[in-house]
Amino acid sequence: MAAGTLPRDLETHGLAAWVRARPLVVGIIAGVALLATLVLGVGLGTVRIGPSETIAVILSRTAGIDIGMTWTPATEAIVWDLRLPRVLTAMLIGCGLAVAGTTFQGLLRNPLADPYVLGTASGAAVGAAIAVLLPIQLVLVEFGLLHALAFAGALGSAWLVFRLGGTGGAGGLTRLLLTGYAVGSVLAAMLTMAMYVSGVELRQIFSFLLGGLGGASWIRLLVAAPLIIGASLLIMARGRSLDGMLLGDAAARHLGIDVTRERAILLALASMATAAAVAISGLIGFVGLVVPHVVRLLVGPAAHRVLPLSAIAGAALLSAADLGARLAGDIPVGVVMALLGAPFFLFLLHRTRSGYEL
Amino acid sequence: MTLASAAPVIAIDGLTIGYADRTVVDGADLVVTTGERLALVGPNGAGKSSLLRAITGVLTPRTGAVTVLGERIDRVHRTTLARTIAVVPEVADLPFAMPVAEVVALGRLPHDPPLTGLRPTDIAAVERAMERVGIDHLRHRDVRELSMGERQLVFIAVAVAQSAPILVLDEPTAHLDIRHQVDVMELLVELNRRDGTTVVAVLHDLALAAHFFPRVVMLAGGRIVADGPPAETLGAGRIRDVFGVDPALVRLPVAAP
Amino acid sequence: MLLPDRRRGVVLALLVLAALVSGCTSGAASPSAPSATASPSASADISTPSPTAAPAFPVTVTDDEGTAVEVASEPDAIISLTPATTEILFALGAGDRVVATDDGSDFPEEAVALPDVATFSSVDVEKVVALEPDLVLAGGLGFTPADAITRLRDLDVPVIVVYAPSVDGVYADIELIGAATGTAEAAATLAADMQAEIDAISGAVSSRSPKPRVLYEVGYDSTTGAIFAPAEESFVAEMVTLAGADTITTGDPNTYEISLESLISEDPELIILGTNPFYAPTPDSVAARPGWDALTAVRNGDIRPVRDIEITRPGPRLPLGLRNLASAIWPDVTLPAAG
Repeated sequence: MAAGTLPRDLETHGLAAWVRARPLVVGIIAGVALLATLVLGVGLGTVRIGPSETIAVILSRTAGIDIGMTWTPATEAIVWDLRLPRVLTAMLIGCGLAVAGTTFQGLLRNPLADPYVLGTASGAAVGAAIAVLLPIQLVLVEFGLLHALAFAGALGSAWLVFRLGGTGGAGGLTRLLLTGYAVGSVLAAMLTMAMYVSGVELRQIFSFLLGGLGGASWIRLLVAAPLIIGASLLIMARGRSLDGMLLGDAAARHLGIDVTRERAILLALASMATAAAVAISGLIGFVGLVVPHVVRLLVGPAAHRVLPLSAIAGAALLSAADLGARLAGDIPVGVVMALLGAPFFLFLLHRTRSGYEL
Repeated sequence: MTLASAAPVIAIDGLTIGYADRTVVDGADLVVTTGERLALVGPNGAGKSSLLRAITGVLTPRTGAVTVLGERIDRVHRTTLARTIAVVPEVADLPFAMPVAEVVALGRLPHDPPLTGLRPTDIAAVERAMERVGIDHLRHRDVRELSMGERQLVFIAVAVAQSAPILVLDEPTAHLDIRHQVDVMELLVELNRRDGTTVVAVLHDLALAAHFFPRVVMLAGGRIVADGPPAETLGAGRIRDVFGVDPALVRLPVAAP
Repeated sequence: MLLPDRRRGVVLALLVLAALVSGCTSGAASPSAPSATASPSASADISTPSPTAAPAFPVTVTDDEGTAVEVASEPDAIISLTPATTEILFALGAGDRVVATDDGSDFPEEAVALPDVATFSSVDVEKVVALEPDLVLAGGLGFTPADAITRLRDLDVPVIVVYAPSVDGVYADIELIGAATGTAEAAATLAADMQAEIDAISGAVSSRSPKPRVLYEVGYDSTTGAIFAPAEESFVAEMVTLAGADTITTGDPNTYEISLESLISEDPELIILGTNPFYAPTPDSVAARPGWDALTAVRNGDIRPVRDIEITRPGPRLPLGLRNLASAIWPDVTLPAAG
């Protein structure tokens, strides 16, 4: 939006207003943070590799430039095959979950919605658990049964919730949310049952539930990237519909929005991004719920600002958290994120109490 | 683009609306012409809101047709319709904090290109709408912090920013005190007189209808029972018949235009 | 929207996991396999068939998951990701070629000082790659995270996945590791010696009767009262049976938990407590558990702790484990001396 309609009274809104007046500043800060996590994520790890070696490897692999350095094959494998795809995967997942979270919160007009609100998480987890329990080993270019069934489970549960919950009529959104809760509960019960009978396989299910980026690889990244980036871009292209629906269904309809159709499309796109993210990284929480709020606190709720900035901030947050998790000995990334992110979120909420309520 | 202006902006012909086995509007005929200011009145359940929803294309009639600027409403594209008829939204609770200016800017949704967002002409329309409605000083405030009356004005501004030749309102004064009620009515008169906007409003308050609207249409039991200047339509006998109350309770300025 | 239920699931998972960890001393590669995949004949198949000559490389072996793994030359930088494989490597005389282990590898003494590149829950793939190993031994059934195995294999590091579903499986694993490390002869000798000793111990007690009904307790959760016991057809159950007991199992190959009701109806005459530094209940604490006084073993005070590492870790010290177990069950039988 143009400068003419932006807030400028610093007195009444303090920090939030100052930053809200400058989405560009927020964008630049988030972009710099993203770049910093990229550099640090590739440069740091449990094995010490010098910055010049790291740069030499990347230059030689991306551009074929030889800057007269030598390095061992192990160094090259660590930089190019382990760190880089992992950092990029973290960014991709963070972006996808943040965009999906923003979309679900806006569509359902519910600040507590997260990417898993349509039962996606339990669906994916049940899919993964079934894959773990089935006595079948099926691996096709780094994609096992687990990824396939987690993806299918996530999409399947979202579809089921949407079919059962519908969105038409008065109270449609509440019905959708409650259906999501009910389907999620059934799936969670199935998951608990699967875990109970899983015996020694429990570990695999458990690590899926914790989520993590240890399995990141170029191939997985390249398969998930079009799904997540594509869904995110298509959502951004429909940002104005998302804005219109903030006023409620009837008002959006009068503004020329085909509410039923747009909501179905947006829910499908957000579910697609969520399912692709979950299939390769397990259940990673927090980023999809909190990043959209942080960004809204800073730049207001208009979709054309919130969606891209959430994408960048989500990418930066998850890759930073994953770096922390790696350096701390591969502890679950969700733990790091909540420990680092939640206090920051509370600080923001506190500072801007007058301007923002959940 | 807007459909070309012709004399009858809205024409309703033999309109019947029903939900399941209940008929709420029964064979209504109504023609609204350009630049009119029309109030729909009638007791609860008379079918006013249903009639309004048919006019705005939300509800499909059982029989009969609604024509907007010479085109059958179900054949008008929803964006074109939104540029032609602006409906003041119900005052909704926003899920997130949002400055007034951004909420008003949502009225430009039918106009602005979806990918690039607001153009200078859109921003000008938003500015004009805020100024017209008199909420310029609230532009940076979070809509959720405003009083009910202020919020009502914000939502009217959304519809004004839509820059449509027809403005439709359903009970725009329901939550307002008398001061704000009069403010809103005067705003409608001004929009109608200065910009030539056709105004169609459902009103409960017969006094406001009589004072501010040159044409009052009364519905009862799904039928139009009276249509004309308030002096004719709001006669004492009809009020007793339709509303079942002593007309003395309703002091009307029946000498109005 | 599944928080309450998911949280409950996670709590349950943690409890079971904790019990399994303590029960297995973060040591044994998973002591059982689901019956569907149990294949006792995890055999080394040597592409150059010269069993008596010095082993030739390259060699292709089939690991316990059925993956054919080629080892190009005799490995001299080996990483072992489970305590059992570490013990096997050292027992085969390949200990000086081991460059790193997991943090649970506590035997023999020389292994403790080696760098750790894995914990119970994760493998530091970066560190593994940096050591440029030419062979990695990993644990099956999820002991080593499957993702880490995939990552390493993508980077052309040969990874052999080992898990023994049975005592025979341990002999096969030893020969598998022997074939992959150029110590086939030592492996054949070690396996034969182990088998001879295990058969001797088992033979000394197997004819005794009546066999006592024995609960080998893998773990107990004092908060929920959950009791963990050997799964049906599991490695631990086989050991207890070899020690001359009528083994009480959970009755299901995939479940390590047994209800107190089932336990009371099975009525153990002897309870063996598998203890380790992380899990060391005493006979008194067992007798004090609510409801346990209904058990014959508790009423008669027949509760005996035994160190469980040698019993549950599928490595070269199994004969010692069986000896300890058999002595606990048959205290007055003289077992044949170690061969």
